[in-house]
Amino acid sequence: MTTTLAGGRAARRQTMRRIRPRRSPAVPLLLAVAAGAVAVLWLWWTNTPSIADTTGKIIAAGRITGLLAGYLMALVVLQMARVPALERRVGSDRVARWHAMSGRYTVSLVIAHVFLIMWGYARQAGKSLGDIVQQTITSINTLPDMGKAAIGTGLLFVIAFISIGPIRRRLPYDGWYHVHLLTYAAVFLTFWHQITTGNEFAVQPAAKTFWYGLYGVVTALVLWYRIITPVRLNMRHRMRVEAVIEETPGIVSVLIGGRKLHRMGAEAGQFFRWRFKAPGMRFSSHPYSLSAAPRPDMLRITVKAIGDHTSRLRELTPGTKVWAEGPYGALTAQRRSRGKVLLVAGGVGITPMRALFETLPGASGDITLLYRANSTQDLALWGELAKIADERGARLMYAVNSPDGERPDISAESLQRKIPDVDRHDVFMCGPPGFAQSVYEALRGAGVPARRIHHESFEM
Amino acid sequence: MRKSHPVRRAVLATAATVSGIVLLLSLKPASDPGSAAAAGGAAPPVAAQSPQGGAAQPIGNGTVTGDAAQTQYGAVQVRLTVSGGKITRAEAVQAPKGGQSDQVTSSSVPRLNQAAVAAQSADIDVVSGATYTSGGYKKSLQSALDKARAAAGSGQGSGEDAGGGSAQARTVTGDVAQTQYGPVQVRVTVSGGKITKAEAVQTPKGGQSDQVTANAVPKLNQAAVAAGDAEIDAVSGATYTSAGYRQSLQSALDKAGG
Repeated sequence: MTTTLAGGRAARRQTMRRIRPRRSPAVPLLLAVAAGAVAVLWLWWTNTPSIADTTGKIIAAGRITGLLAGYLMALVVLQMARVPALERRVGSDRVARWHAMSGRYTVSLVIAHVFLIMWGYARQAGKSLGDIVQQTITSINTLPDMGKAAIGTGLLFVIAFISIGPIRRRLPYDGWYHVHLLTYAAVFLTFWHQITTGNEFAVQPAAKTFWYGLYGVVTALVLWYRIITPVRLNMRHRMRVEAVIEETPGIVSVLIGGRKLHRMGAEAGQFFRWRFKAPGMRFSSHPYSLSAAPRPDMLRITVKAIGDHTSRLRELTPGTKVWAEGPYGALTAQRRSRGKVLLVAGGVGITPMRALFETLPGASGDITLLYRANSTQDLALWGELAKIADERGARLMYAVNSPDGERPDISAESLQRKIPDVDRHDVFMCGPPGFAQSVYEALRGAGVPARRIHHESFEM
Repeated sequence: MRKSHPVRRAVLATAATVSGIVLLLSLKPASDPGSAAAAGGAAPPVAAQSPQGGAAQPIGNGTVTGDAAQTQYGAVQVRLTVSGGKITRAEAVQAPKGGQSDQVTSSSVPRLNQAAVAAQSADIDVVSGATYTSGGYKKSLQSALDKARAAAGSGQGSGEDAGGGSAQARTVTGDVAQTQYGPVQVRVTVSGGKITKAEAVQTPKGGQSDQVTANAVPKLNQAAVAAGDAEIDAVSGATYTSAGYRQSLQSALDKAGG
């Protein structure tokens, strides 16, 4: 049994132990992915004793791109399987960016693969590049599972096309999302030709086993974390809308009741993907952060009405059933590495910051919240923030535009003036992209190391 | 939150991928391991399995079932009834089933059975529209023949690969020749200083290769018998398989010759 020491080194050590940051597993994961890619290339290498001429080289390049595309395809799906290690430790935002990046890369590899293989086969048949279309049709008709693969590849191209930045922004999110779900069909359809026509898998049973294993594991994870886990969560907690409260013009809070909500394992700073069983909202799920620490009987989200979905939230009636998936997000107290913390919120980005402001452990003066909004009327939740600041001895600051519309000065100098030891803080930040970028630069200018700026951004 | 540079990232990814692939391709030996050393490097030593019994050697009476050969549509397994050293009956005890396969099996297997009895060897033509089933059938048939010969051989108890006896028919299997689509290995039966039969015991498989193999190998077999040596023309559209075939054929002839 240890006695508690008041003050001194032991107490400080105790505090530091409590807030030792959990490392993000991003680097080991990326190394594992790279090792897998090397293994796939090695598979090709051992199965190819020699390459005779240009045709051989074209086909070999086609095989390499095909193998890599098949490998990455599995990982692209895995990234969206909502695996907790990815969602809560690496961070949903970062994983979503990985998904977009690797998806683009995979589609590029698929294009290269189709082109190179068909060109190579055409040359093998004594034809030229101009006959590539004819060769493709022949291959689809004669080789096993190529019909399926052609449909799958077509789907993949459609999905890639509607995901191109400017085109995606023009589409309604729900429509885009539901088309995007066809990726599962595309992956299923293109899988079989890899096994039946893939040279590497025809000659190497071990490779075939590995491939089935890879896709099998990914399928199992998708089924488990995207379907079974949410079903169990919602069966257990049975959430319903309790009340809708207008915080400021255009910003509403939704109170959600349910059973044993503290058992969901949500932490301040995390979010759920919400689906409200109300007309027009049933089929789309949207990520909203908890704007207060979860209570056993109550969760709260606070949302700014900017889109269709968000505007409809204020019309929700008490008793509406709620379907939630989560908790997701890595912007939690686990990221913290220091005793002192600065929270920076821009606009409705206050929601996760509000929850952290209330719950981050810290002595008087350790926690500071900087809240940026257009005007003092737009400072949603200000009343309760002020109350928390009072109770905890935390500092609360706001920055709004001056009456003539001039933007407040948030620069390295002004930050250092307001918070002289800003470089000794951990910074948690949430806000619109432009705001986040400028604050990030100001913080770096004020001497805060990048690894201590924790930020979540859903910009692709 | 570093600034992202999508264009720069795309250019880097493309450059890295292209140069990686080009590097891999250029590190591979530029074809044909014509030298024995190169072929021996990758291929397993074959000499041990070459004296397998020849066509002239009687095969034991009774029935013998070959190993099941896996094809992508299912397993094929052949049972032979042998009497007086001849195949009197061939039947498939396993063949692909289900969907389209039922039709393919019912139309192709009877023809393959007939062909096996007629040819008295595994050197039978592929039934068109049933490439995979034919391939599996031939494989299993070969295995049944090997077993029948092995059974007969052990009864006789003699090494038929005594070497040099050109008056007597003997079967020699050449070294495996690696091609970029897979290994090629040729077995020849030599009798009276002539090639009486040539067959490929290993050929490229998978994807496009199945077609190329099915088309080219019978022609190469014929050409080898006709030429009596390894100076045979390449089959067009099957350059690599032809080159590998020639190489393995040459190695078989070298072994047979001395």
